[in-house]
Amino acid sequence: MDLLHGLAYGLSVSLQPPNLTACFVGVFVGTLIGVLPGIGPVATMSLLLPITFAMSPTASIIMMAGIYYGAMYGGSTTSILVNIPGEAASVVTCIDGYQMARQGRAGPALGISALGSFIAGTFSVLGIMLLAPPLTSVALRFGPPEIFGLLLLGFTMVTYLTAGSKLKAVAMALLGMLLGTVGLDPIAASPRFTYGSVTLGDGLGLVPIIMGLFGISEVLLNIGQGVKQEVFDTRIKGLMPSREDWRRSAGPIARGSVLGFLLGILPGIGAIIPTFVSYALEKRIARQPERFGKGAIEGVAGPEAANNAATGGSMIPLLTLGFAPNVVMAVLLGAFLIHGVQPGPLLIKEHPEIFWGVITSMYVGNLMLLVLNLPLIGLWVQLLRVPYGILFPLILLFCVIGVYSESANVWDIVVMLAFGVIGLLMKRFGFEAAPLVLAFVLGRMAEESIRQSLLMSNGRFSILMTRPIATVLIAAALIVVALPVIVSPVRRLLRTVPPDDTA
Amino acid sequence: MTGRDRGAAAVLLVFGLIALEEAGRLRFGSLARPGPGFFPVVLAAGFSLVCTGLLVIAARARGADAVSAARLGWPKIGATMAALFVYTLVLESAGFVAATFALLVFFFRALERQRWLVAVASSLVTALVTYLVFKVWLNVQLPAGPWGG
Repeated sequence: MDLLHGLAYGLSVSLQPPNLTACFVGVFVGTLIGVLPGIGPVATMSLLLPITFAMSPTASIIMMAGIYYGAMYGGSTTSILVNIPGEAASVVTCIDGYQMARQGRAGPALGISALGSFIAGTFSVLGIMLLAPPLTSVALRFGPPEIFGLLLLGFTMVTYLTAGSKLKAVAMALLGMLLGTVGLDPIAASPRFTYGSVTLGDGLGLVPIIMGLFGISEVLLNIGQGVKQEVFDTRIKGLMPSREDWRRSAGPIARGSVLGFLLGILPGIGAIIPTFVSYALEKRIARQPERFGKGAIEGVAGPEAANNAATGGSMIPLLTLGFAPNVVMAVLLGAFLIHGVQPGPLLIKEHPEIFWGVITSMYVGNLMLLVLNLPLIGLWVQLLRVPYGILFPLILLFCVIGVYSESANVWDIVVMLAFGVIGLLMKRFGFEAAPLVLAFVLGRMAEESIRQSLLMSNGRFSILMTRPIATVLIAAALIVVALPVIVSPVRRLLRTVPPDDTA
Repeated sequence: MTGRDRGAAAVLLVFGLIALEEAGRLRFGSLARPGPGFFPVVLAAGFSLVCTGLLVIAARARGADAVSAARLGWPKIGATMAALFVYTLVLESAGFVAATFALLVFFFRALERQRWLVAVASSLVTALVTYLVFKVWLNVQLPAGPWGG
């Protein structure tokens, strides 16, 4: 199936009423939770996972993906108007976006972030269409040693890119994999760490762990600190950026799109890091860098384009390799598996309706988001005025419903509450949740691939170094480990990433 | 890296060592034929090693907290968690609507100091609406309890 053919077929799938509805629900919910601080795309996608049981696999994935890129749009609104990031990938937008709002330029700030996001989203969809099909043919040559190499690269990237202590991140990744070994052994199917418990026999659930670490702990932190919401109280007028605004933003949007997309493909990056890289880049090449931090539109346009392009880029490893490069994609992988679909190199052949349908739906969804976030911006601003005292019981309730409905097992709620407390303590002691969750998801794959590799090679680790793709991946992982020593400037740049790196 | 870090690293190290001991009971196999215990042992050993490293770094650091973390209102956090835990225990016997109603009244009235009428009315409406939306409309499984039929 060539590209145009695939595109036309995809559009015919994504424009079917059920899929169109799923797309709308996804981007709507995504914008909603993006706007609301304290609940992000990871927790929301897990929460809505059980609801997709009744839907077709295509519609479910379309909805889930919509939540992710929808959240990128919504998050910027809160950053600009309240100076609180609606979700983690719009932290940088606070810097110049809020300053623009204070200068009475909230309209153009919101406008450029929505339009910049749209342009970047469009670019990344085109990128997926061009890159994903050829990559699937490479992916077909992946055996257990290559998969292990890829996972190793993923883990080292996640650890390297965390803001705080690298050693703490390694500890969390190992802990995540260790927690993932609870349940049945993937090869021999013998029970491990179950202590006769039926609940533990199935292993710890991904949904309770994610809802605990990302949902409950965030709410607890907000309750404990007392959230102050001050919506910037000016009439938002003139959403369309001026000609001068466009002139300043065109470059940042273009660079942010390319940067975000390429970084998004790499394992461990997610949507947050590209925003920081984009901001740093724009500031460095700007003619008047001193304008940054004082309401420079470039500081909104670049990062907002970058986070949207990154969501598209991160779909590539999932669709072509069946590999989740970040936590959000891990949840999406879960959604695929629940519907009995294995994403990976065979997806495009076996389920072209999902492959092309999801990609084209992202384009349709970006159009919907433009409407949702420009003419309807007033709606979301109202939402920001709901006091946290009313919001937090509802968020907690939705977390409980989400976890219970997935398994009908109250012990999963207990697991979620336990991980809520663990997550709060982790935040207090400077441990990050993202490496833990990613390792939890990928741990099983890592175990299978290393055990199968050893079975193949009769116990010799050299198998990892004699196959070209595996060698390249492992060498890349080693370079990442050595990188801090070699290039300290890059490290200084990335040190600006805040510890709350959740995607 | 301070006393707090030392404490955290020590707790994690103890956990790692327990995990290592427990993983050691599983069949390790050989490198050519790794068994169920192979991966957990490697992970638990690696984890314990990293935690030892964290402990050493924390022990070498001197002085008080460089940046003291913002104070948290622990009583409110504790009350929230306790309420959720009790809610979980009674959820299946009392049913979703009754348990959720009680939980929300507690949150709105005891924690957020809303007026009784507001707290009771909004809790009732929220409990019923979520039940209708999730159970009846979206067909999500929720415990009906003695009153829900």
